[in-house]
Amino acid sequence: MTEKITPKREKLLANLRVQRYTPGKDRAPYFDNFKVEVETGMTVLEALRYIKDTQDGSLTFRAFCRSAICGSCTVVVNGNPVLACSTQLMPILKDFGKASVTITPLQRLPILRDLVVDIDPVIEKLAKMHPYLMENRDRIPETLEQESLMSQKELSEFNYITDCILCSACFSACSTVKVDDNYAGPLTIAKAYRYSVDARDSFRGMRIQAAMDQGLWSCVQCRKCINVCPKDTRPADSIRHMRRIAIDDGIHDTPGSRRAKAYTDDVEKIGQVNKPMLPVIVHGTKGWAAIEAAEAALAKHGLEPTRQVCTLPGQEGAAKIYAKVREIEKKEKA
Amino acid sequence: MIEQQYNDDKLHYAFYSGCCFQGTDARFFDILQQVFDKVDVELHLIPDAVCCGAGVIEERSELTSLSINARNMASAEKMGLPFYTPCSTCFNVISNVQKRLGEEAKLFDQVNEILAEDGIEYKGDCKLTHTLWMLAQDVGLEKLKERITNPLNGIRVASYYGCHTRNPADIQKYESSQNPTSLEDILKVLGVEIVDYETRDDCCGYHLTWPNNQLSQKMTSSVLQGAHKQNVDLMVTSCPLCFKNLDGVQPKALAAAGQDFELPVLFLPELVGLACGMSSSDMKLDFHNVPVNVRL
Repeated sequence: MTEKITPKREKLLANLRVQRYTPGKDRAPYFDNFKVEVETGMTVLEALRYIKDTQDGSLTFRAFCRSAICGSCTVVVNGNPVLACSTQLMPILKDFGKASVTITPLQRLPILRDLVVDIDPVIEKLAKMHPYLMENRDRIPETLEQESLMSQKELSEFNYITDCILCSACFSACSTVKVDDNYAGPLTIAKAYRYSVDARDSFRGMRIQAAMDQGLWSCVQCRKCINVCPKDTRPADSIRHMRRIAIDDGIHDTPGSRRAKAYTDDVEKIGQVNKPMLPVIVHGTKGWAAIEAAEAALAKHGLEPTRQVCTLPGQEGAAKIYAKVREIEKKEKA
Repeated sequence: MIEQQYNDDKLHYAFYSGCCFQGTDARFFDILQQVFDKVDVELHLIPDAVCCGAGVIEERSELTSLSINARNMASAEKMGLPFYTPCSTCFNVISNVQKRLGEEAKLFDQVNEILAEDGIEYKGDCKLTHTLWMLAQDVGLEKLKERITNPLNGIRVASYYGCHTRNPADIQKYESSQNPTSLEDILKVLGVEIVDYETRDDCCGYHLTWPNNQLSQKMTSSVLQGAHKQNVDLMVTSCPLCFKNLDGVQPKALAAAGQDFELPVLFLPELVGLACGMSSSDMKLDFHNVPVNVRL
């Protein structure tokens, strides 16, 4: 027998603090407060529509599909970028323990009006990544009737990224975008990776170059993008994968790839990273100044500087694991 | 997991130190031990752990990162104790490995096949925790309050979590990731005044130190400036890497940003220790790069 589930219907009179701004008319963005009776299940978009219908017809926001597919309604609620159509207000009110939420437009993008931003900068960055398949001649079928089929395994390499709807929530939340205008942003690198590891594609080298030009190693791996992605595409993971294929394809000469190599090799050899020498490993002879400064700082506190950290007891076991993984990876490549 | 029995009232943890608590940073380990002694927590060092790779090893080989961290957890499982690491990045990386191996049965089997080379088995049932939740939930705020002998009233503090105990949300089930409160809960018990500031949720940039130092310092100075604007006495972080960055790189980062101020930064256990009556020399505050000239 199935039990009938009746969700608890709650109502709460909440204050929605919404950022308003019309470029050319307002000197700076300001906030308007709207009282809305929030019910269980009510989405941010429903609340915005309610305000537009009953309180202020001039409130401007963008929305279309109402199904978390088109990616046009992204706004920032209490600092977190979300899809307005698929985000309920009640859990947020409860989470923050206040009968008030603040709704602002996406960050780091030009505001067109109120909650609507111009996402062209994101699209321009994406366009530089060659976000399309360039045919891999080995995979073109003999006849027109045949299709270029992919195995499940090949698909699983990038399938999780194909859900990306370009909503730009990750772009808005990104720590690096905040400090570097030239950085590509999470979703664009994720897309570049998605096409680069597609078995039907042959443009991987160009995309690696494009990603490096737009700051592949500028991602700080704060993983906020994973947190905010409404489609669970995990951009920060893809950025690590993109770095991996870049290194696999011979990009050994960037500080980032040298760091990756040092970490990986050190843990195998000594069970930990030989941090004292990292400046030289990553930056070459330029790094000596940093090493000397660090050593001087240690000496000030009476600590003896070292250039070779000890080998941890776990190293032996880890080395066995490294060997086994290498064996498996070699087999997979073959 | 078989809970190891100790005949005392203490809480026991398998301690995964990470790189911030050994070598020239070994003082942090002393500090932790002193502080946890006050709240009846005993740490048992995982004897054969290796570096978690900080997510960087994944840029070479994901399977290596998964396997060595499954091995790290398996070592704690053998001890029959919950896995505790004071480092947010170690927590993030290892917790992510636990989550993935819990979800992907094939990967779980493959990793165990790899671990068999070392004669060790990963079961996947060890509880992972971090200083934040150990203090706020395991020890409990009540007990912590009892042990406070030097309430730090009147000190204005900017609380800073850092990213890796918060993102992604699915690495921990202890609290909301969008609006965490454990750090503030602990700080309130210590008696300080918590000040809201705009850069609380920003990244300090530590993990860009090597690949892109300039951007890293921009992030560092931005976080510090946000706190400084609110006229705080000090900043407290629960992440040792954030601490190293915000304290160690502060003069350089602020100079690069054309700023001329000093903001003392404390690692959470240091402040807990001070509130529990330990002296600033016990907490080795003179090791800080930015002098802690606040009366604590």
